[in-house]
Amino acid sequence: MIKHFPQPFLLLLLSLLIVTSSCKNKAASDQPRKIAVVVSTLNNPWFVFLAQKASAKAKELGYEAKIFDSQNNTALETEHFENAIASGYSAILFNPTDAEGSVANVMRAKAAKVPVFCMDREVNTTDGATSQILSDSYSGCVAIGRYFVEKLNKQGKYVELLGLVSDNNTWNRSKGFHSLVDNYPGLKMVAQQSADFDRNKAMEVLESILQANPDIDAVFCGNDAMAMGAYQALVAAGKAGHVKVFGFDGAEDAVDAIKNGKVEATAMQFPQVMAETAAQYADEYFKGKREFPKKMPVAVELVTQNNVGDYIAYGKKDEGK
Amino acid sequence: MQKKVIKYALSIVALIVVAYNSIYFKSLDEVKAASAVKQFDAASYAHHFFNKKLMPGIDKAVEIDALLKLVQSDPSKAFLSYSHALGIGNIRYFLVKGEGTIKAIGENTTTISYISDTTQKQLEIATEFVYGNAIRDASGLININEFNSTMDFNNVSAEINKIVRSEVLPSFKANGKVGDRIKFSGAIELNQAHLNLDHIEVVPITLKLESK
Repeated sequence: MIKHFPQPFLLLLLSLLIVTSSCKNKAASDQPRKIAVVVSTLNNPWFVFLAQKASAKAKELGYEAKIFDSQNNTALETEHFENAIASGYSAILFNPTDAEGSVANVMRAKAAKVPVFCMDREVNTTDGATSQILSDSYSGCVAIGRYFVEKLNKQGKYVELLGLVSDNNTWNRSKGFHSLVDNYPGLKMVAQQSADFDRNKAMEVLESILQANPDIDAVFCGNDAMAMGAYQALVAAGKAGHVKVFGFDGAEDAVDAIKNGKVEATAMQFPQVMAETAAQYADEYFKGKREFPKKMPVAVELVTQNNVGDYIAYGKKDEGK
Repeated sequence: MQKKVIKYALSIVALIVVAYNSIYFKSLDEVKAASAVKQFDAASYAHHFFNKKLMPGIDKAVEIDALLKLVQSDPSKAFLSYSHALGIGNIRYFLVKGEGTIKAIGENTTTISYISDTTQKQLEIATEFVYGNAIRDASGLININEFNSTMDFNNVSAEINKIVRSEVLPSFKANGKVGDRIKFSGAIELNQAHLNLDHIEVVPITLKLESK
């Protein structure tokens, strides 16, 4: 068939093909790379802040960024990953829904050669994500544990409210706290129950625990939402002020509650640092860097009534970055 | 008929070969020992780090008085030159050494006084709460990429602190008296965004008493 075409016509056709193809490539390279920010939920202001800061930093670095809300649903998270990969996103800044359940999504992106940078929550694999930037929850709770022991004078009964049992942060916090507190036999844990990081559930769980243990001295909570719920339960039982409440996160209402003497302490996390580091790492990846720490802990700071003036919610103070 | 027998015999032999190669037995102890080998041994790592890496270079720690003066006059330079941390954030650690006189012995700390220029200053040596990452991070000798899991490097801190609590503190707590001269090395934690130099607490690595 080809041999019937005149040779000059074939050459012209070939040249046109090369020109149009190079034009198309040029157009594609002119487009900024796209970064997907896939976040576990946008129902919690803490994660909204995390997602917005990641997106803002990606845009500041010259990329297009879009936020995807997984609504705490790994199936929806899978859809977001598939869409991001199919739509040509070059990197995913990822706040996983489930340490175990999100592994498959990270591996899917890796297979498609799309780097994933985890923020705040980890996935249970070391070779999936390019890097995982995580709050040092364990060390933060060692610091809370020390303050707890000091405030209780090494004696007393206490309750621990755990977060979601499927989340690694729940156990990192609990283990950090117990690594110190369990060395003091005078401190007796009378109940340890999950309240799923939820304020209302924490209130209900503590109300129920107080029925059987009305003489507790303290409550250690795996996040600030539960600390606030616990405080409400103590108010309802007429025990606010007598029972010391400890949280974790650095949420706005907890910081205010520390200022007002309702909560003893929290551990301030820095979502902006985690979000911006993830976007920065993606930028460095695009520029050719391939060696990243598999897990990068971000220091968590103890906030008490002595230093609460240095902090505002989510550690947003400029000097706190 | 003979063909059928041969066919069945071959099938049975094949089945036996497949079955034999599909199943194998190992003692439970062997399996447990093999998986234990793969697990990170934080206690061994901590002992090796403490004795072979940290102690040989401990004399190179910065003099605490000089460090605190630099932190006051030029904090950026002090943090850049002397601080370390495995992660990112405001909290940084310094490897320090110094000497002074025991001024008071408390439940959780021992107060040391020392002369800086002509002024008497004080710091605390932690004798109760030896926890956290100060010693692990202060030397800057540990690389985070050595660890696959966050719990591994948390456990390294816990084991290093255990060495101090069991090997360094007991004789100091038993023998130290108010008025004794003391040489110490250790780690301090400072928050570079919210500097507080009013209360300096040294997590000890070595404590050497020189009685009156």
